[in-house]
Amino acid sequence: MKFGKRIKEQIQESLPEWRDKFLRYKELKNLISSPDPAEFIFIGLLNAEIDKFNAFFVEQEEDFIIHRKELQYRIQRLVEKCGDNDDETFREEIDDIRKDIVNFHGEMVLLVNYSNINYTGLAKILKKYDKRRGGALRSPFIQKVLHQPFFKTDLVSRLVREWETTIDAVFPASNAEAERGYERSAAVSSAAAGEGIFRNTVAALVTMREMRRGSSTYSAFSLPPVNLSDPDLVLGRCR
Amino acid sequence: MEARPVQRSGSMVLSNLTRTTTSIPSNPSTGEESFMRSDNTQFISKPLGQQTYHLLSSSNNGAVGHICSSTSSGFSTNLHYSSMVSHEKHGSSSNDTSWCHDSLHGGRFLDLPEANHVDDGGIGSAFDDIQKRNDWHEWADHLITDEDPLLSTSWNDLLLNTSSHSDSKVQIPPQAHQTVQQQPSPSVELRPVGTTSSSSNNGTGKARMRWTPELHEAFVEAINSLGGSERATPKGVLKIMKVEGLTIYHVKSHLQKYRTARYRPEPSENGSSEKKLTPLEQITSLDLKGGIGITEALRLQMEVQKQLHEQLEIQRNLQLRIEEQGKYLQMMFEKQNSGLEKGTASKSDTSAKSEQEDKKTDASKELASEETRNSQEPESSQAKRTKTR
Repeated sequence: MKFGKRIKEQIQESLPEWRDKFLRYKELKNLISSPDPAEFIFIGLLNAEIDKFNAFFVEQEEDFIIHRKELQYRIQRLVEKCGDNDDETFREEIDDIRKDIVNFHGEMVLLVNYSNINYTGLAKILKKYDKRRGGALRSPFIQKVLHQPFFKTDLVSRLVREWETTIDAVFPASNAEAERGYERSAAVSSAAAGEGIFRNTVAALVTMREMRRGSSTYSAFSLPPVNLSDPDLVLGRCR
Repeated sequence: MEARPVQRSGSMVLSNLTRTTTSIPSNPSTGEESFMRSDNTQFISKPLGQQTYHLLSSSNNGAVGHICSSTSSGFSTNLHYSSMVSHEKHGSSSNDTSWCHDSLHGGRFLDLPEANHVDDGGIGSAFDDIQKRNDWHEWADHLITDEDPLLSTSWNDLLLNTSSHSDSKVQIPPQAHQTVQQQPSPSVELRPVGTTSSSSNNGTGKARMRWTPELHEAFVEAINSLGGSERATPKGVLKIMKVEGLTIYHVKSHLQKYRTARYRPEPSENGSSEKKLTPLEQITSLDLKGGIGITEALRLQMEVQKQLHEQLEIQRNLQLRIEEQGKYLQMMFEKQNSGLEKGTASKSDTSAKSEQEDKKTDASKELASEETRNSQEPESSQAKRTKTR
């Protein structure tokens, strides 16, 4: 039930148009608990879910590819236009672009998260099914999931990393705005209070940490606890 | 950008189709892809391969089943599929020619498990999102008049390659795949494929294209050479790009997205992606009162995002390796079992099982300690031993 709760939270925190694209974990769980969960029905449902993931993922990915190009153009135009001038319009536009870059980065990360959550959900639901039915559906099915488009997040991850370096290289933050601890946490609290990418991201991190804290059915297939480099400064303030 | 083993324009999509590449073009990085079982690298491109299969499937009703099923049968992971295979044989007793219609009418419950569903899955139903119109005749015309010679060649190649690499128990004789336009050979044992996709496709067979930065680059070049996104037409772009397997529908939808993306930011430089800026706007309003700078808020957001991404990558790698280990161990276990079926089966079984458990424990431990500072808790190894697989 733990994962069920977690994925529900995740969905609630996610961007509105994403909400119906997640795995319908609870429904599938209920199907398994029903008196006679027919295998072909179960598999049919799973496949439908996978269809859904693939469609959504690939479409988002396409949007990212297009948006990325546009961002590149914008940066290029800005650099050409203003060179090294530090006038106000320049700063405004830079800030604008920075904002867009960060949000763009965030959305891509959330898509990777989306992929991961759904994969994890599938793995868990299959495990439940096998447990209930004493079957061996899980392993071969999961092997196939591994080859699904929605699971192959390499491109998006690559873009994520690309923009992490880009934003630092092209728009380094000025030293004048170095922050003190309490102000940061205030920023985090207020940011998390709103909707959107930031909140979703924090929620995702928390969920991940919770999910990997320990499980009642800990086995060889379970993941170890999350190792966060900057553990609770951010997360602690938000929960 | 890292170098990709993918050729430009002309053969761009061909690499989509060809199972010889390590993966579909959007993910050519061999590092991660080849991590997945080597005997399956050929299948990695399958999802797309099957998608494009759908392009032809609708224009060749009978032949469809064979084409599709060839890929899907090749896709199946045979070794563990003894139960599945017998299942298949049942399911595929449906007619060669009529399966298409069955699936078209949503008879997906007749279909065989996984491979087929999963492969085809994303395709057709995905397409409903993109294309509402059902004028596949026009599309088929395009396909045949513009690209027929090339396509049929690549289809042949792909089909032959696919079936030759298929190690599924459900083998489909290569002759069935000679050309797309041929009549279906009745001797073929089919695994019906296009299920959800076909049913929602209504026979249009529009496959979903997975775009890559390179492909998009070619697209933009084509657009520019045609005088910009407003003046360019999908047909023109398609002709310039000369990418095999790319249809006018792919181009149309992509062009639509492109136009939206292009012209949205410019008129409203400040207001793009409003809803996503809520938290940031909150912070910046704080800023006016001398609170956090925009830059700092952004930096914070970026940091959190980076962390999440890092964790996701770690988690994904762990999951992949766990699955691979599990699969390997299961194979070992089964080999042992089959070898010891006679005589001292019971004794060896238990020892084999506990040996497998130990191996898994070790494997997981190894993964865990590699990836994280905290190794698994000591008491967990006890738990693992007592838990049967």
